Amino acid sequence: MFERINKWNLIIFFVVVVLLIGSIFFLWMKTNMEVRSVVEEQYQNQQLLLTKQAASSIERSLVEKILLIEVIAKKESGIPPDNFASDMKSVHDVAGLFYVIEFVDKNGTIVAGYPEEHVPYDYNLYEHGQYSAFERVRASGKVYITDPIELIEGNYGSFVWFPVFQNGVFSGAFIAIIEETELKRSYVVESGTSDHAYLIDGRGRFLYDESGRYERGSHYVDILSLDTSGMGSIIAEQMNGTAGSGKFFVYASDGFVVEDRLVSYVPINWYNQRWSLAITSPASKVDELIVPVYVKLFIVAVVSVIFIVFVSSLIFLILFNWNKSLENEVDEKTRELKVSNESLIDANKKLKELDRLKTEFLSIVSHELKTPLTAMKTSSEFLRENDVYDASLKNQMLDIIIRNIDRQARMVDELLDVSRIESNRMKFRADQVNIEDVIVGALEILDASIKQKEMEVIIHTPANLPLVITDKDKLVQVFVNLLNNAVKFSNQKGTIIINVKEEKEFVKISITDKGSGMNNWELENIFDKFYQIDSTSTRRFGGSGLGLSIVKGIIEGQGGKITVQSELGKGSTFTFTLKRG
Amino acid sequence: MDEDNISGKILSLLEEDPGMSAGEISKTLSISIAVVEKTLEKMTDTREKVLIVDDELDALVSLKIALEAEGYNVVEAKNGHDAMEKVQLEIPDVILLDLMIPGIDGLEVCRQLKSDDLYRHIPVIMLTARGEIDDKVEGIELGADDYVTKPFNLKELKARIKMILRRNIDM
Repeated sequence: MFERINKWNLIIFFVVVVLLIGSIFFLWMKTNMEVRSVVEEQYQNQQLLLTKQAASSIERSLVEKILLIEVIAKKESGIPPDNFASDMKSVHDVAGLFYVIEFVDKNGTIVAGYPEEHVPYDYNLYEHGQYSAFERVRASGKVYITDPIELIEGNYGSFVWFPVFQNGVFSGAFIAIIEETELKRSYVVESGTSDHAYLIDGRGRFLYDESGRYERGSHYVDILSLDTSGMGSIIAEQMNGTAGSGKFFVYASDGFVVEDRLVSYVPINWYNQRWSLAITSPASKVDELIVPVYVKLFIVAVVSVIFIVFVSSLIFLILFNWNKSLENEVDEKTRELKVSNESLIDANKKLKELDRLKTEFLSIVSHELKTPLTAMKTSSEFLRENDVYDASLKNQMLDIIIRNIDRQARMVDELLDVSRIESNRMKFRADQVNIEDVIVGALEILDASIKQKEMEVIIHTPANLPLVITDKDKLVQVFVNLLNNAVKFSNQKGTIIINVKEEKEFVKISITDKGSGMNNWELENIFDKFYQIDSTSTRRFGGSGLGLSIVKGIIEGQGGKITVQSELGKGSTFTFTLKRG
Repeated sequence: MDEDNISGKILSLLEEDPGMSAGEISKTLSISIAVVEKTLEKMTDTREKVLIVDDELDALVSLKIALEAEGYNVVEAKNGHDAMEKVQLEIPDVILLDLMIPGIDGLEVCRQLKSDDLYRHIPVIMLTARGEIDDKVEGIELGADDYVTKPFNLKELKARIKMILRRNIDM
């Protein structure tokens, strides 16, 4: 029963445990994702801040430097005789950003500049067809900055054009070339080493890419090639001049994601130039930040799982043991109940048997007492009613009466003995008794019946037979009863053997006959009250059936033992013990 | 040669020659004169026959003496089997049946008699030392005609026997 229920219990139990563990890992994953998104957001905010800082510093520095030139360009004093040569020198030295500062006169000829080694003196813009920017600033009167252009020297630089007006009349322009390397220095240094920065202009062209993935001047259209995703929209945002953050993936040629990068971008407005600075960093940097958190959460999850497994096994063990001990207890109780039930049934049986025996005893006693009374009454009434002249008939009737009176008296004595034995009230005198005397006495009482059957009685007694402590009269009664039985159940000319021997503190006496013997059932009941070997035996052999039960009572009442051995058709041996004197 | 046969043969001899003496009959049938005389006596006994069934010899003997003095022909049986045999052999006019007898007990003897068409008519008076009412009821149910408890009053018993015999004759 337990096995079947337990199997299902076990399955349900394990399902619950597995669900618990599963939910813990689910929560762990979910928490990881949430933590990741929070950390990523934070990281990107920080990155954006950093980018903003870098962008604004670039912007400020560029604007500042250019302001210096604007200041001299707007001098009211007019073009100095040295064509601003000294001003340009001081600006260059102060700013430290410019590759070269040159002054172009109103005819488009470079007339002055600093540092002088970089100045192509007398270079006429018109002659070389490089006048568009010059024309533009003359027309607009505003500072104009070109896209970075490859310089004659081979490197890149932006040309900043400053128109110079004297009393409202265009009188020339400054050209300041900012070398890109100068520009780079400011933000590359500021952005972290592991991060990459890139700079695009307002048309989506790469001015600089620290990672080196993209060529200078490569267009964003090229970038929307297959090896990245998500970058296109970022570049679009950058071209719109907004600040923000995003994420893009870099693919390997086989289509797998090599890495995902977080990017923050901030516009740089520098006069007419609309640039956008972006700083990218690998998403793995976020992971680096999160991994310890992951590990800690994982440890928590594992500890929880271990705890659950431990607690559940504990519960399981407790339940299992409890169940088992309960079952054992039930088994034990069932067994006890069974035993007590059996003993009750047994006791009931014994009580019923006792009740039956009691009823039987009463009815036998009643019969045994009334039978001699009947004979006496019939005989005496007959004698009274009839004048009996026949002496022999009269004597016969009187004999019947006397015989039955004796029988009645004997019966009453025996009943009294039985009653005393049963209530332990039988009193024994402690005489020093010589057994041989007792045997002789008993044989004298039975002399008539022994002679009638012509029986031989053989007595074996050891020399120096000790005296025994017993009630002499009752011992005589024992011998008479046992010998009387032996005579009764023996055949004509039978033999009775009386054997007496010492055994430790006892004297053992056995009386053996070669008579009819008994079967097992008779042997078992031989000492019961009123038991007679078949109910006819009382009549056939005389006796009330109380004799042996009285003998047993007398022997056991004095601390002895009585046993019987018998074989049907071969005779019986009664053996009893008496205490030595 | 059993008793029935003997009595039957004696009867047929006497039919042929009513004056035949016991000695002659004994010679003719080659049986002892004593047996012939006994059989003749039995055959001519007109007394009512009482069968007493009791295993207690003293009670049996005293009752037998008392009833014989009263003029009954008393037959005795000491146990159940003996009783059944005697009933078939003697066909008594009344049976005094002790309940506690060896072999088949009194109740069983009574039941067997009352279930047998041949012997159902024989009245049975139950004698028992047991005075319990249950025994009485059981005895009557089995067809015992009367019931006397031991030790009984001799006068009462004789009166009951007489009454039962008269009732039987009336029927």
